[in-house]
Amino acid sequence: MKALNVAWKDIQIFLRDRGAVINLFLLPIVFILVLSTAMQGFMGGDGDRLITLPVVNDDADGKAAQALIDALNQAGGIEVKLYDQAQAQALLEDSEIERVLTIPTDFTADIAANRPVTLRLVSHPDASETTTESVLRVVNGAARGMSLQNQLIASFEQMGDMLGTSPSEFQVFTTERIVAQAQSQFERSRTAPLVTVEQTRPENLGERVTEPNAVQQNVPGYTIIFVFVTAQATAFSIYREKKEGSFRRLLAAPMSKAALLAGKMIPNFITGLIQIVVIFAVSIFILPMVGLDRLTPGDDLLALVLVSLLLVLCSTGLGILIAAIARTEGQIGGLGTLALWTMGAVGGCLFPPFLLGGLLDIVGKVVPHYWAIQAYQDLIVRGRGLADVTTEMLVLLAFSGVFFVIGLWRFEFD
Amino acid sequence: MPNILEVDHLVKKYGDFEAVKGISFSVEEGEVFGLLGPNGAGKTQTISMLTGVIPPTSGTARIGGYDIRTQMDQVKRLNGLVPQDLALYPTLSARANLNFFGRIYGLRGRELKERVEDVLRIVALTDRADQAIEKYSGGMKRRINIAAGLLHQPKLLFLDEPTVGVDPQSRNHIFESVMRLNRERGMSIVYTSHYMEEVELLCNRAAIIDEGEIIALDAIKNLIAMLGGGVIHVGLQQVDDALLAQLSALPAVKRATLAPRPAPPLLRLRSGQAPAEGQEAEVSEIAPAPSCTIVKIEAEHSQQALLNMISFFSQRDIPIASLEILEPNLESVFLHLTGKKLRE
Repeated sequence: MKALNVAWKDIQIFLRDRGAVINLFLLPIVFILVLSTAMQGFMGGDGDRLITLPVVNDDADGKAAQALIDALNQAGGIEVKLYDQAQAQALLEDSEIERVLTIPTDFTADIAANRPVTLRLVSHPDASETTTESVLRVVNGAARGMSLQNQLIASFEQMGDMLGTSPSEFQVFTTERIVAQAQSQFERSRTAPLVTVEQTRPENLGERVTEPNAVQQNVPGYTIIFVFVTAQATAFSIYREKKEGSFRRLLAAPMSKAALLAGKMIPNFITGLIQIVVIFAVSIFILPMVGLDRLTPGDDLLALVLVSLLLVLCSTGLGILIAAIARTEGQIGGLGTLALWTMGAVGGCLFPPFLLGGLLDIVGKVVPHYWAIQAYQDLIVRGRGLADVTTEMLVLLAFSGVFFVIGLWRFEFD
Repeated sequence: MPNILEVDHLVKKYGDFEAVKGISFSVEEGEVFGLLGPNGAGKTQTISMLTGVIPPTSGTARIGGYDIRTQMDQVKRLNGLVPQDLALYPTLSARANLNFFGRIYGLRGRELKERVEDVLRIVALTDRADQAIEKYSGGMKRRINIAAGLLHQPKLLFLDEPTVGVDPQSRNHIFESVMRLNRERGMSIVYTSHYMEEVELLCNRAAIIDEGEIIALDAIKNLIAMLGGGVIHVGLQQVDDALLAQLSALPAVKRATLAPRPAPPLLRLRSGQAPAEGQEAEVSEIAPAPSCTIVKIEAEHSQQALLNMISFFSQRDIPIASLEILEPNLESVFLHLTGKKLRE
């Protein structure tokens, strides 16, 4: 309870410090906005870009096959790129492409004979589900359009044939009959389409490492950096309280040292969580309004929450460690700079992975920032789940433990 | 009256350095007890041990019957501390500060509200209670600092140099508050200071502490009485036992003895001439004083003794190399006991 009193007092002090509020909440959003806009050009992202859809056309001479390809290109959002079967299979296995659509050999003949035909869409296990969903919608739309067109034509041809063989007094097709026939074909194209799409996602394909776009790099990157800024703020708060003497008054009061320290840690924890929520919320809802990619939080929200909790725990431990080691405000500033920017750069928070290359994988692993951003990007970019980020979470937990143990061991109350 | 505080050979060491060297003293219930000593004497260290801020190296103390080494939680509920630093949160209002500290001491709801209003009345800052502390003057900050120590109505209040950097009006207010707390509420107070006039004004008894040790402890009037009517230090070129006996026999003189202290140094001018009016002297060196011996004359009445002494020396053509008069107060007692000033 007394720890909560101390925490609430620190939160009141923090809220009165406009500079600190701006520093911890507004500044990361500014960084993300500016840098994502600057980096968008060379870091991919949807925006106005077309999704390349590899297509294997086994009915190369068929008109219906070509018509389908034309329909896909004209649908908007997709650009068809043709491969032969062997080539497409190899690229898929090497994770060079995310998916391939195969038009079967007798596609045109089956369409002409009004026989049902199936297109096959094979997706890589690591393919972005959002993109696959978009592609599937477009392909289904083109397929349905093709189905309807053929079914209508076939139906009217049938009506024409009937007209030719009927006695003259029955050769009347009213508007109502034509409309009814058309409606019937519309319904049939929906419930029993001529062209269907079957999607498969084989598990035995190689792993694909998907690179983040600018938003997917900067949002988790600067979130991590500024959550660690909060650690520096905690260290400053403890230093000032010791220097101004209020720590001494609290030590003379009937409260344990554990409660006192807990009270200093709780605001760090809460502030870090709020930072993550605010930054992610802005990235999901506001960034698209200014022409940037929307951040999708991934499929496993529980994993996202757990990684965030561990990140904040790590930051809290680092705050105590800095407070324990630093003897002056200058030292806190210096250690904070080291923690924030150097570790953030080495850990891959500031620069996209392809700029750091192999250096990131060697040196980056010694800082918690690396593990945090790997976890976030596994979830956000590569669509992975809790089981896939267990290693990163355990490492973050270990870093937290080390920070807390050393910090508490070296902490001097008087 | 029973003792509220009993200190028994309290020691604090930092490595080989002994900051507090086994001090012992007691404070009666309802007493205002002074701890007088220069900066670095060990006053704050002593209070820090008694209030649980730092643990003692050895020795112990009992406050309200509770041992500080084994029952500190109970001790902390009886103690109130007004630290030397302004232990407040500057961006919060006085009321917010007091509410926070009150909650730390377990006060809640109506009781907390009433206590906050009560201490604000005691320090006369009710009408400024909702202003941020950073907008207060130094004296006002000191008063809220005291108020925070009173919230839980401690049995024993430790005031550690409460008037440092304070304007005279606030200083008087602090004195009045201390006296009222003691007189009207029976609060026992340990008051530390290096201002002897405060200790003389407020305290019943005092301990004089220097370099971690208590060098004198008694009622204020008894401590001052150590100097009798005062002490005169006179520097003479030649002193012998006969001279000392003659001086001791002078009216208004209790005793004359030798006190080996250097005389004040002489300054030698660069040009050998006095500076012109409006110009400062150019000093070439601070020369060591010619050797002289300091005689300590303990007077029954310092002014009368001084007149008699000057007359004595004048009649015998004995030159006086230096002269220093110590009026009977605690500052002089300290100087008399240690050879140092309370405030350097």
